[in-house]
Amino acid sequence: METGEGGKKPAGEPWFAVRRELSPQRATLLTVFSFALPLLVWCAFSYLPFLWHPDVRLEISADRENVTTVYVAGDRVSREFFPEFQEAVRAGNREIEGGLVSFDPEVDPPNGSSVRRANKKVLRHLAPVLVANGWLTEEQTKDDGAIYDAWRDIATGARIPDSPDLDDENLAIVSKNWSAMSRVSPTYDSDRFISVPLLSLVPQGRSSNPDYLPAPHEVVVTGFRDFTAPAEAERPSMWERVGHSVRIVFGGFALAMLVGVPLGVLCGTYPVFSKLLEPFTDFFRYMPAPTFSTLLVAIFLANDAPKIALVFVGTIFQLVLVVANTTRGLDLPLLEAAQTLGAKQRQLLTSVVIPGILPNLYNDLRILLGWAWTWLVIAELVGVKSGLTEFIETQGRWRNFDSVYPVIILIGMIGFFTDQVLAVLRRFLFPWTSEAAAKANPIIRAIFFLPNLLRRAAADRLPYEAPRTRQAEKA
Amino acid sequence: MTTTEPALHPLRYLKQSPAVRERFDALKKRPVVLSVRNLYKTFPTPGGSVTALRDVSFDVYRREFMCVIGPSGCGKSTLIRILAGLEDASDGEVLLDGNPVSGPGPDRGMVFQSYTLFPWLTVKQNVMFGPRMAGKRGATVESEARQWIELVGLSRFENSYPHQLSGGMKQRVAIARALANRPRILLMDEPFGALDAQTRCQMQSYLLQIWKNLDITILFITHDLDESAFLADRILVLKANPGEVNEIIEVPVPRPRSSDQFITSEFVATKHRIDQLIHPESQSKSDEIPFPRMTVEGDDVE
Repeated sequence: METGEGGKKPAGEPWFAVRRELSPQRATLLTVFSFALPLLVWCAFSYLPFLWHPDVRLEISADRENVTTVYVAGDRVSREFFPEFQEAVRAGNREIEGGLVSFDPEVDPPNGSSVRRANKKVLRHLAPVLVANGWLTEEQTKDDGAIYDAWRDIATGARIPDSPDLDDENLAIVSKNWSAMSRVSPTYDSDRFISVPLLSLVPQGRSSNPDYLPAPHEVVVTGFRDFTAPAEAERPSMWERVGHSVRIVFGGFALAMLVGVPLGVLCGTYPVFSKLLEPFTDFFRYMPAPTFSTLLVAIFLANDAPKIALVFVGTIFQLVLVVANTTRGLDLPLLEAAQTLGAKQRQLLTSVVIPGILPNLYNDLRILLGWAWTWLVIAELVGVKSGLTEFIETQGRWRNFDSVYPVIILIGMIGFFTDQVLAVLRRFLFPWTSEAAAKANPIIRAIFFLPNLLRRAAADRLPYEAPRTRQAEKA
Repeated sequence: MTTTEPALHPLRYLKQSPAVRERFDALKKRPVVLSVRNLYKTFPTPGGSVTALRDVSFDVYRREFMCVIGPSGCGKSTLIRILAGLEDASDGEVLLDGNPVSGPGPDRGMVFQSYTLFPWLTVKQNVMFGPRMAGKRGATVESEARQWIELVGLSRFENSYPHQLSGGMKQRVAIARALANRPRILLMDEPFGALDAQTRCQMQSYLLQIWKNLDITILFITHDLDESAFLADRILVLKANPGEVNEIIEVPVPRPRSSDQFITSEFVATKHRIDQLIHPESQSKSDEIPFPRMTVEGDDVE
């Protein structure tokens, strides 16, 4: 029941009513939420440590005595193991500590060179912190001279790292090490380098989710980096990859359409074709397209041909059956009416069947295009890996999931927005359907939801203008 | 109003005024447009073949308006579909202007009960469909189509699509579309059955006017007694199981017809006769349902 001004539903309208249409405002709001909610859940799990965060992501790593497993900064260890890891390093430090205080810089111990090597590692364990603070570039992580200077600066308090910072324990270790190191040499000199064991930095880290769930901001930053990186000799740029993937999907789909639509229409129109083609098609579609991949490579050899063929094989059998069914769905009385108006067999096909099924055929093809997208990854694994899939595969193997997510999301967006554009186009292509007169697409409305909200809020702030605008809208 | 007068003579419907008799004499002198000869139709079913039509024969004269009525299952839809050529007869023949016909053709226009306008064509394009199928193109086809649309009073909607029209308007376009082919006979299969009562009345008057002003013969299927008595010159009453000709009634109601005639004794007698033929008394008694009283005392509504 609509009461109140301008068809607005009263405030008491229930949200939950069986099969009752929601007001357009509520429908739009919910569409916005349907996208916002998953994002909010992702943010919550990423930025609220108490929700999950089963791991610690290392900012500073360290070596342990007699343990071969090496962690570097950026690695994740489980939250249970992390204190154990720190304790193991502290135990090693306790053994070293006595010697470090009482050593004589002029006397070289017998195993000096191996100790020096270990000490250089300790020195470099600070490098990730320095890079993160912007004191070093990625390339300088092995520049011992610069790192040496940084140890000095931190020990003397000349510079204080703040993101990440060093905890008090590590600050103390830095100054103890530095007081020993500086007694040997004030600047870095590989010949004159401390030869008694230095204290190891204690592992330091922040709670985090496993690497397969990077935080939204990491995904955005990495995605931006990946997509703006220029192409290299053996590495196409991301947009070239996108273009390649889109060509494969649309190429395979276009071919399937070219062959499948006429066959489907014939099957739906003439029982002869239906009985001849459909039983085998129905059987063939149960054979998974990927099982043909090696066969397709044997037939079509390298490059894109077998990939396009896979999308084709994966799509065409469904397409023929769906189009045949749609064609059969045409109102039989329309065909009878056309016959009583003098239409001959050929004219029935060209003047009734084809124009009559076009809107539904268009919808079928929209759905089947989505179907073709699902073959993308498998198609790109056929033969030589290529396109977006090769990128996903490589990065995923390196566990760079912050690089993987942007690509997955992009594929989804390409498919989704293609479909939305096609849905909007349908209204213009087929003005005779009753859907063409329907209200604007909910997704489009959702996209303009925020701008409209802001505009309305701005309009409401002008008390003398607002009533006039509203009247003008009514008129 | 519709209760039959008890004093009504059972054969009152056979009495024709001199003017009406003169009309029928003139009508029967006109050439026969459609002639149905010993028509049979049997359908094979798992339980053996079922006879839908048995030995149906009748003639329709030029410019006659004939209605076909009968109880459900009498095969009236099968009959009209055979006449249109959409189904084949098992035996017998259909002659149009003396020539046997088989298969559908533009010489027998048809208006269906369901809306069969082509949804992708505008009103004008729908009306032009028949001529276009015959290979006609150009401005004359279009201007003729406009005239047909004007005839059914839809000039304002010539560029509308069917989904923008009401049910009554759709059927008017369907009539114009069938007439645009200049058929020898217009077959109408319960064309107003899906319309509401008011629109149906309007459409009946419209149809009579079109019929009056055009050289057109109409065979009209209906299950509505009032409709048949209001529209028809003669009413072909069919029997059910199998469908056979029961009687051809010459409607004694004079023309031009109007809704005022619904209470005349000719009209009532005709309806009464059809009712007798379609619902024999023996049948209606067995259909009576015992009605238990399910209300408390003191709230009588009668």
